[in-house]
Amino acid sequence: MCSMLLQFGRTDSYRVATIPANYDDNKTADGRSKSRRKNAKKQRKADDLDDLKQELDIDYHKISPEELYQRFQTHPENGLSHAKAKENLERDGPNALTPPKTIPEWVKFCKNLFGGFALLLWVGSILCFIAYSIQATSVEEPIDDNLYLGIVLAAVVIVTGIFSYYQESKSSKIMESFKNMVPQFATVIREGEKLTLRAEDLVLGDVVEVKFGDRIPADIRIIESRGLKVDNSSLTGESEPQSRSPEFTHDNPLETKNLAFFSTNAVEGTAKGVVISCGDNTVMGRIAGLASGLDTGETPIAKEIHHFIHIITGVAVFLGVTFFIIALVLKYFWLDAVIFLIGIIVANVPEGLLATVTVCLTLTAKRMASKNCLVKNLEAVETLGSTSTICSDKTGTLTQNRMTVAHMWFDNQIIEADTTEDQSGVQYDRTSPGFKALARIASLCNRAEFKGGQDGVPILKKEVNGDASEAALLKCMELALGDILGIRRKNKKVCEIPFNSTNKYQVSIHENEDPNDPRHVLVMKGAPERILERCATIFIGGKEKVLDEEMKEAFNNAYLELGGLGERVLGFCDFMLPTDKYPTGFKFNADDPNFPLEGLRFVGLMSMIDPPRAAVPDAVAKCRSAGIKVIMVTGDHPITAKAIAKSVGIISEGNETVEDIAQRLNIPVSEVNPREAKAAVIHGSDLRDLSSDQLDEVLRYHTEIVFARTSPQQKLIIVEGCQRMGAIVAVTGDGVNDSPALKKADIGVAMGIAGSDVSKQAADMILLDDNFASIVTGVEEGRLIFDNLKKSIAYTLTSNIPEISPFLAFMLCDIPLPLGTVTILCIDLGTDMVPAISLAYEEAESDIMKRRPRNPFTDKLVNERLISMAYGQIGMIQAAAGFFAYFVIMAENGFLPPELFGIRKQWDSKAVNDLTDSYGQEWTYKDRKTLEYTCHTAFFVSIVIVQWADLIICKTRRNSILHQGMRNWALNFGLVFETALAAFLSYTPGMDKGLRMFPLKFLWWLPALPFSLAIFVYDEIRRFYLRRNPGGWLEQETYY
Amino acid sequence: MPIANSTRKFSVAIHKQDELLSTQNTYFVKPEDMKLTSKEKIKRFFWDPKEKSFFGRNATSWSKIIIFYLVFYGMLAALVAICMWVFYQTLDPRIPKWQLDRSIIGTNPGLGFRPMPTQDNIESTLIWFQASNKTNYLKWVKNLNEFLDKYYTPGKLEKGTASTTGCSYEQFPKPGEVCDVDVKVWSKCGREKFFDYHRNSPCIFLKLNKIYGWLPDYYKDVRELPNDMPLQLKLHIGNTSQIMRNTVWISCEGENPADVEYLGPIAYHPEIQGFPGYYFPYKNGEGYLSPLVAVQFLRPTSGIVINIECKAWAKNIKHNRQDRLGSVHFELLID
Repeated sequence: MCSMLLQFGRTDSYRVATIPANYDDNKTADGRSKSRRKNAKKQRKADDLDDLKQELDIDYHKISPEELYQRFQTHPENGLSHAKAKENLERDGPNALTPPKTIPEWVKFCKNLFGGFALLLWVGSILCFIAYSIQATSVEEPIDDNLYLGIVLAAVVIVTGIFSYYQESKSSKIMESFKNMVPQFATVIREGEKLTLRAEDLVLGDVVEVKFGDRIPADIRIIESRGLKVDNSSLTGESEPQSRSPEFTHDNPLETKNLAFFSTNAVEGTAKGVVISCGDNTVMGRIAGLASGLDTGETPIAKEIHHFIHIITGVAVFLGVTFFIIALVLKYFWLDAVIFLIGIIVANVPEGLLATVTVCLTLTAKRMASKNCLVKNLEAVETLGSTSTICSDKTGTLTQNRMTVAHMWFDNQIIEADTTEDQSGVQYDRTSPGFKALARIASLCNRAEFKGGQDGVPILKKEVNGDASEAALLKCMELALGDILGIRRKNKKVCEIPFNSTNKYQVSIHENEDPNDPRHVLVMKGAPERILERCATIFIGGKEKVLDEEMKEAFNNAYLELGGLGERVLGFCDFMLPTDKYPTGFKFNADDPNFPLEGLRFVGLMSMIDPPRAAVPDAVAKCRSAGIKVIMVTGDHPITAKAIAKSVGIISEGNETVEDIAQRLNIPVSEVNPREAKAAVIHGSDLRDLSSDQLDEVLRYHTEIVFARTSPQQKLIIVEGCQRMGAIVAVTGDGVNDSPALKKADIGVAMGIAGSDVSKQAADMILLDDNFASIVTGVEEGRLIFDNLKKSIAYTLTSNIPEISPFLAFMLCDIPLPLGTVTILCIDLGTDMVPAISLAYEEAESDIMKRRPRNPFTDKLVNERLISMAYGQIGMIQAAAGFFAYFVIMAENGFLPPELFGIRKQWDSKAVNDLTDSYGQEWTYKDRKTLEYTCHTAFFVSIVIVQWADLIICKTRRNSILHQGMRNWALNFGLVFETALAAFLSYTPGMDKGLRMFPLKFLWWLPALPFSLAIFVYDEIRRFYLRRNPGGWLEQETYY
Repeated sequence: MPIANSTRKFSVAIHKQDELLSTQNTYFVKPEDMKLTSKEKIKRFFWDPKEKSFFGRNATSWSKIIIFYLVFYGMLAALVAICMWVFYQTLDPRIPKWQLDRSIIGTNPGLGFRPMPTQDNIESTLIWFQASNKTNYLKWVKNLNEFLDKYYTPGKLEKGTASTTGCSYEQFPKPGEVCDVDVKVWSKCGREKFFDYHRNSPCIFLKLNKIYGWLPDYYKDVRELPNDMPLQLKLHIGNTSQIMRNTVWISCEGENPADVEYLGPIAYHPEIQGFPGYYFPYKNGEGYLSPLVAVQFLRPTSGIVINIECKAWAKNIKHNRQDRLGSVHFELLID
């Protein structure tokens, strides 16, 4: 990229000097403001991206053609010499997009294999292998426990790693999708010869020819044009074709007429141009570079999970190391201390939790897909729920991207046309002479035609050949009159002057359908003021009146009003050509008009707009009531943008912009206090001059913001501005120009039908029905899954305490081990899994769309209150239950509790074959171990039983279970499943050999029941107080 | 009235809208927070002079949470205590709740041996002594003395309620009585003779694990004797009178052929070479002492570790060397 900067013949320092100072501190460029390491490579990458974020800053469109030729040493007729072309090619490289450097797959895999809990489990696993190998070499009959445990732990890590690698591996193919847009071949003039080259071989200074249907092969300055029109929608998002000519019309390179850009489509005409930039350096190349080079950073849920992993790992390492040291201080053999360490690690790490989270997210993703939200990146499922700002593109996202006639003005009144998708709107009087005249012009002076083979399609959805406004008129007339084709056939066209940008009108002459009237009718449409100039009379109320000042005033008011609505207005006039001068069969000449073009009869105005989608206003209102700020970011004109913003509720009723206030108070804009205005419409050229602090201020002090005329880079800057202030930003967009913003956003939402391939690749979520309203579904599901994940984690973490405490008791009280590592794994990877997942199906407790989005800095997925509840309260009750069951079984078989304390050494010694219990019975090693493992099983079963209660209390965080009900059948199944699994593990023959699980007497299932009941009652009472005293101390301390 | 009402409604609506707008307007990062470095934030977490908070809580907050947890754990402890108390009501201090097959202890007793290596060498089953070194073998003798103390002075155990009686094959104890153990039957393995450790022919005492209520199923008929029973024991049983066959027999052997060779001849005291049937069943009676068999290895080879396995024999004793069921394993090393 750097080498290409030089090709402008300017130094880097020039470029640096043109970069506004305020961007320098923008460290979020690669999404990692946190890392302060002065890594040279990273720094350079950041610089490159920063550079790409700047607006295109070139002067090729400003300089004279001669200077241009001179700069590139080219010639408008002969083009470059082959030698020069070769030299340029060698210097600049091919005219192609370079793919970004990708992280090798094995690195990604390793990240999954060693990230998160994996590292801790690897430590556990390795310790197991070490312990085993030491035992294997020192003891004759080594116990295989540690070997199996090590293998199981390693297997858990590897399976989880592969699982998450697979989830992540659906790599985005942004660059590939850009490459599909790049043309294959180009017609080039070199040394006076016309050649067809591969587009990659184009170099700076090449003279290229483009014709309609082509893609522009590089950024070119137009030097000759014959009606060239290009579709810049990939850059601006606006699909209206724009004409291109050699004139320099605007300072902004994107708006001037003499530049055409790489990979945009030529839709009409032909042209010749000089290549001014190639490959990555083109406008499109820069967008592609941005979109593929941006590092999006972690999703909010990934941050939450990491935060949670940090907490758990911290606890595990702290406990592990503390007790390792205590064990050594207590003069335990170091190998025993290591085995304690393993136990504590295994007990602390919720092995199955990450898989649970993934499954929960997958379930939600599936549910969302069925509601037309296709989630590409699993973690993005939750992101919409955390979203606090939505930056939405207008065209195609909020609007239908279909010009539709919105208003008509005839008989001196504005009439609303129906723009709704289902044509349920108001109807108007179609019999008035004014409307008839207007309709005649609109249908006849119109070159648009329906494409064939669309018989069943509703009129508004039919595809049309021709310009968007003409298509709008055609559809409107087809709806009003029906069978336009027939009307046109009856009024045969005899002559036509097509629209051009100098005349700004279009005229056609037709034979009259009325057989009694032999006169020809001349119909004209065009820019209203130009049309009015050519009129002498006006048709009002069925009568022709002289066009006096009063009428002109009325016209002007209507024109302004419609224009103020952001609509594109066209004027219509007609004229009945007298038969004496123009008899039937008169030869009209279009090139040199031999018919009147002035003194015509003005009929009316029609205005068109790309109307908002039907469901959008409702969706915007829902988003806003959910506390989400909706910002419109569009490439369209400010007036149109504002009008649409108002109609969809992005700017709400009664809120004014600075300009509105200035107009109302009749004072200059500069005197208005910007804080007074809640709404703001900001033009791209103003945005360009704002420093990042000023942008922050705009974002902070205005609630309702519309950014108009924005470039792709500015969209990105807006997204970054919002993120800088702690917002979690969703971006919706459909065009290539949205792709950097889509990528940078915490969640990019692309449109499935209208969206470009690039936008879909850059996005995390695709709305399959293009319906903005689906976002509301996404928000709802996202918030629900966040709540449910909390519950799921609370449920899973609770069983950590009854898992850890046996080890501590074993170590500190010298009692036989109450719960083994194998049984811990049976809980974490067995009985706890299905119930934890089933919490993902839990219904919302309250209207989650009425609360504001969570604060990503304080509303954590796992916070100290959740830990306090899970570990400090419920977990402790569970541990008590487990120990009670343990003591019951020990006592019933002969070892009363006092006997157990301090017995550990003899208990675990294989040499002792006659250990005496409280009843004088003597136990062989084998029998006591059977007893111990039976206790493990009972402890395990007790955990399952107390987890019943835990599962039920985790269903709700505030409501009573009586209110919430037990309608979650997945959860009810989970309850049955964990019980059945526990019974299966306990009673299946052979389990004593495999997992050391022994059959329990029925009575031994019961000791945990009172504790289970206690958990349920305690939490119901706690939640009762929570509801009674909202915001009270208990809520502050225990509401997670 | 309706007008006033509607204006109020309208103003409420406006107020609602304003509230909504203001929530949307607040970003989560406050401008002043943007300036704090993470180091300062951590510092503020440890000790915030403004809030007077330590680890994110001030004194009142800490005391409240501590009291909450004290009360919580107090109640949890009470719950555990109640459960324990209720559970204890179901237990009998002298009779195990579950016995024999219903208990995990089962019906297949193991054997124990004495002297055992001491606590600090608890994983070991090696009896290693030097007959020439008095302090060395006295350690083992002392170990045995401690164990046999209650046999030599049985009165120590009695608390007045127990009635011990001398039993014989003709005279089994009545219910409530326990049989005493005659120390004289150990003859050469008496404590006065240092259990013969000093003469390189050590005595090892074997005892059968006590299982509440367990009764042996004796080999009454010589034809019933299993194939893996040592020939010496088979002959011995053959030579025993019918009534005295109500005995759980004991046999000791070297584990491997080499061990057998190194071990040399073995003498059993008492001569019956087993635990007489009148000691069974064990009912946790006051003063009950396990019958012992002293096994004397008369001429074991010195300087080499000899693996020895002793087995108890009755029809309902199954043997498993791995699990030490119905048997016991130890090593002997004499320097």
